[in-house]
Amino acid sequence: MDCEKFDRIVLDLLYDELDELTSAATRRHMEHCARCRAIGSGLRATREVGALPMVEPPEGLSLRILHAEEQATQLLPIGKRLGRGLSLLAGYAMRPQVSMAALLMLMIGSSLFFLRAQPGDREHVLVTERGVPESDNESVTIVPKKADAPEPARMATRPAPSPRSEDGAPRRERAVEPKPEAAPLSVPFAAAPGGQAAAHGSAALGSSADDKDLDGNSEASSDSDASYDAAMAAYRDGRYSEAQRRFDEISALGGPHAANAALYGVQALRRVSGCPTAAPRFEAVHSRYPGSVGSDAAWQAADCYRSLGELARARQNYEQLSADPSYKTRAKEAIAELDQRVADQELAARRATTATAAAAKGKAPADSAPAKPADGGK
Amino acid sequence: MAAVQGDATDEMLMVRYQRGERKAFVELVRRHNRSIYNFVLRQLRVPSVAEDVTQDVFMRLVQNAAEFKHEARFLTWLYTIARNLCIDQLRKLSHRRHASLDQPQRDGRDQTDAQLGETIADPNPLASAERSALSSEVRSSIVKAVDSLPDDQREVFLLREVANLPFREIAEITGVGENTVKSRMRYALDRLKDALCDFEEYARALR
Repeated sequence: MDCEKFDRIVLDLLYDELDELTSAATRRHMEHCARCRAIGSGLRATREVGALPMVEPPEGLSLRILHAEEQATQLLPIGKRLGRGLSLLAGYAMRPQVSMAALLMLMIGSSLFFLRAQPGDREHVLVTERGVPESDNESVTIVPKKADAPEPARMATRPAPSPRSEDGAPRRERAVEPKPEAAPLSVPFAAAPGGQAAAHGSAALGSSADDKDLDGNSEASSDSDASYDAAMAAYRDGRYSEAQRRFDEISALGGPHAANAALYGVQALRRVSGCPTAAPRFEAVHSRYPGSVGSDAAWQAADCYRSLGELARARQNYEQLSADPSYKTRAKEAIAELDQRVADQELAARRATTATAAAAKGKAPADSAPAKPADGGK
Repeated sequence: MAAVQGDATDEMLMVRYQRGERKAFVELVRRHNRSIYNFVLRQLRVPSVAEDVTQDVFMRLVQNAAEFKHEARFLTWLYTIARNLCIDQLRKLSHRRHASLDQPQRDGRDQTDAQLGETIADPNPLASAERSALSSEVRSSIVKAVDSLPDDQREVFLLREVANLPFREIAEITGVGENTVKSRMRYALDRLKDALCDFEEYARALR
């Protein structure tokens, strides 16, 4: 700070327009400089003593001004009045509350617009739900094992998800009931891993609905259901002749249970008359009902052939079934079992031949048992 | 509402008045009526004329309210109006003075000076009776010193002392540089100092 700079800023110091640092520097300079101190003191004293006395305005001046303002406002040209009104409206419109309210209304309006708008042509959208809800017909039934009945397949009791028929109506499923089948038949079902048997059984039983769609006639459906239930009851009670007759009638009449009735009818026939009679009937069912019921029939026909010792025919059926995904594994296992059995039979035959030759010579006793007869099957 | 307007700045009040709130204008008049009147009175030296000009200042504000920008400083705008009206009025008075040169000794200038001296030195006769004669003499000297200032120096002095405007805004109003404003102010203070240096109050203030 020097005297020249002091002269430039002394008025700022006098009227407190200096920042703190410059003000402090100026005051320090005044402490050491008598000239600047005298200037500063003189100006300060002049300002203190020479303050202009303020004169009060005449009474009524304010009122005159306000009155004149009122008159002037009334005499404002219409353009300025409109401008003032517009300015007043704009002032209200620019308030945050108004802006937020407008934004909220815009959001609500746009939401309603989008909610009302539905894509697509509604005239062509027609959804018809037919039949009864699945929960009314699906049930879980666990039938205890009967002492005299063959081991029921460990199919479970939970049906597979009901697919829909082509027209969109839900396929009607009956309660899943375990099949009272012959032991050889039950083995592959039981061996199915992880509930595949259940799914398969359900699919097999419900395949009739795959083949023929329900027409929605509830009376005919209830009659058919009652007949089928009666036939199944006779079958489970061991009244195979009656069961066979009832199943044959149901199969002959057709309907949703025709396929299953045909299969069960032949199974009942097998119980009554044995495999020689049942095998051709199983083949007939297999031919008539392609699908899971037909595959079941083919499997049981093969089982009959095996019990009758007709291994070639049994193998032929197994090979056909190996093309069916649900029977593929079991069919291959059955084929391997048949091959082993054929090999065993050939080995036994060779040994028997050798023993016969030895006995004829009278030197060596027969050291091997004759070959086992074929399974007497029912 | 009055409390809210009392806290509001001049600029906020002016914006409200632009929107049509007359109360804002009332508040502005209440705040600045006195300082505008004193500024005009010191410039024109005739109380009746000063009263009319003060009213004109506020009427100009009313008429040009829509032109006020809220970024601008209200006092700068108001004193610019007052200054321009004072300049117009001084021109008129000067013309009148020249026209009355042939009149006897008591011309308008002498008369107004005498009236103003009385008004300022003794605005309230009852109260002034209690004051010392020296104080009255000091104030009279102050008024005379201010009146004797050149117009440009008096203008700056009044804007600084009466309107309490910073030098930057005074420069804006007067249309000259800030350093010029300070220089004029310095001269004005020096003249005032010369007028006061013989008084005891000044000597006491120096100590």
